[in-house]
Amino acid sequence: MAVPRLLRAGERVVPGPARPGSVPPHPCDPRVSLPAAAPRLYSSVSAPVPVPVPAPPSAVDDSLLSKPLSHPDFFNLKELFSLKDLFNARVHLGHKKGCRHRFMEPYIFGCRLDQDIIDLDQTMEHLQLALNFTAHIAYRKGIILFISRKRQFCHLIESTARECGEYAHTRYWQGGLLTNAHIQLGSGVRLPDLIIFLSTLSNIFEPHVAIQDAAKMNIPTVGVVDTNCNPCLITYPIPGNDDSPTAMELYCKLFKMTIIRAKEKRRQREIFDELRRKAEGK
Amino acid sequence: MAGSRLQKIGSVFSRTRNLLRIGVIEKPLWFDVYAAFPPLREPVSRVPRPRYGKVKDVIPPIFYQEDQVRARFYRIYGSGPRPFDLSQLNYKSTCQRFVEKFNELKEEGKIEEEKLFEETGKALLAEGIILQRRGTDRVAQEDHQDVGSRDSAIHLQLRTLLEEMQEGKKDQKEQTPERAETQKEDPLPS
Repeated sequence: MAVPRLLRAGERVVPGPARPGSVPPHPCDPRVSLPAAAPRLYSSVSAPVPVPVPAPPSAVDDSLLSKPLSHPDFFNLKELFSLKDLFNARVHLGHKKGCRHRFMEPYIFGCRLDQDIIDLDQTMEHLQLALNFTAHIAYRKGIILFISRKRQFCHLIESTARECGEYAHTRYWQGGLLTNAHIQLGSGVRLPDLIIFLSTLSNIFEPHVAIQDAAKMNIPTVGVVDTNCNPCLITYPIPGNDDSPTAMELYCKLFKMTIIRAKEKRRQREIFDELRRKAEGK
Repeated sequence: MAGSRLQKIGSVFSRTRNLLRIGVIEKPLWFDVYAAFPPLREPVSRVPRPRYGKVKDVIPPIFYQEDQVRARFYRIYGSGPRPFDLSQLNYKSTCQRFVEKFNELKEEGKIEEEKLFEETGKALLAEGIILQRRGTDRVAQEDHQDVGSRDSAIHLQLRTLLEEMQEGKKDQKEQTPERAETQKEDPLPS
């Protein structure tokens, strides 16, 4: 008996009209498929239906999305802040020695009369990476969520989010907002693509639940970590002060400018591409 | 849609990359951006374990050379006459001016080490800053981190109190033998 061939889409094993003189095969013969199952097992009887292949990324989309990634600082974010600005905004001031978290030790410069001083050189690098990541996410039209549980800055953060056109959550965090979103917020909800923590601790000085939830839902996070915070689960931590009003105003200003800059660039790019397409079309 | 909620294993990126490799997920927005600009440390979850034995403090304390002058200033004059105004970025406190004057006079080198402190006080007085002495001028000690050093003013007060008490006891002892003698003399004639 011939080795059964691998069936390609659309082929039938059901025997055609019987030739005169031949014996019709027994229904239990393995070469014959059950006629009742035939329409179900094989995709179609006539010409094979082409499998929908995902559309290959067009040249336009490629340059729009991938070209910015080749520049180290596509949005020129290093001009937005300097070490002097961070120092004047008191970003380097940490908590007392007793409040220090073990995993923040690499980011601390020293201890002045029992108060931890954060290393601003490291903060500069981390801030540059974090702002760059935020800008690229905003450029790709991602949803950004600002979270902080500091009541002192709740209004500032909400107004910042409103001005950038993004979202903020500075109130009590209900358990399943990210992990149980489809039931609590309705089906078809789009979860944020980036979560920015302007303070990683909750009101009871414990890590905010949303850090763990974002890690569970595979959402990258950017967060300002003070000397008493745990920076492990945050994708892009920014070691810095999260208690002084000057420092928080600086962070809000930087994030707002980054997001607005990125969105402006995207808008300009799209208009430019459309004009070019029209010119080529003519 | 599949997903991986194991936040204790690996990082967000490693889990998403593996799910993409299997093909159960479509590429999220942030994936290419993370791949192009990864963070300095991969965000893997770590458990803070307690340290055993003698705990070494890895963070160095920050001290400057001027701190010796500052410590002496605060010991003698207390906090300066003017309160600190931290709203100005380039504010110079009385202590800071004292330290700068001290360094200037030290660089000139005409005054001896012991007299330098008093000379600085006099120079500031000439400039118009009046410094009121709050404590005694102890000889500048080498180790300003001495834990046993107490406020010299309190020491002085305690010492004077002790001397007064001792003098008072001596007076009482002198008075009582006199009374005893007078009492002994009294019954004698009677």
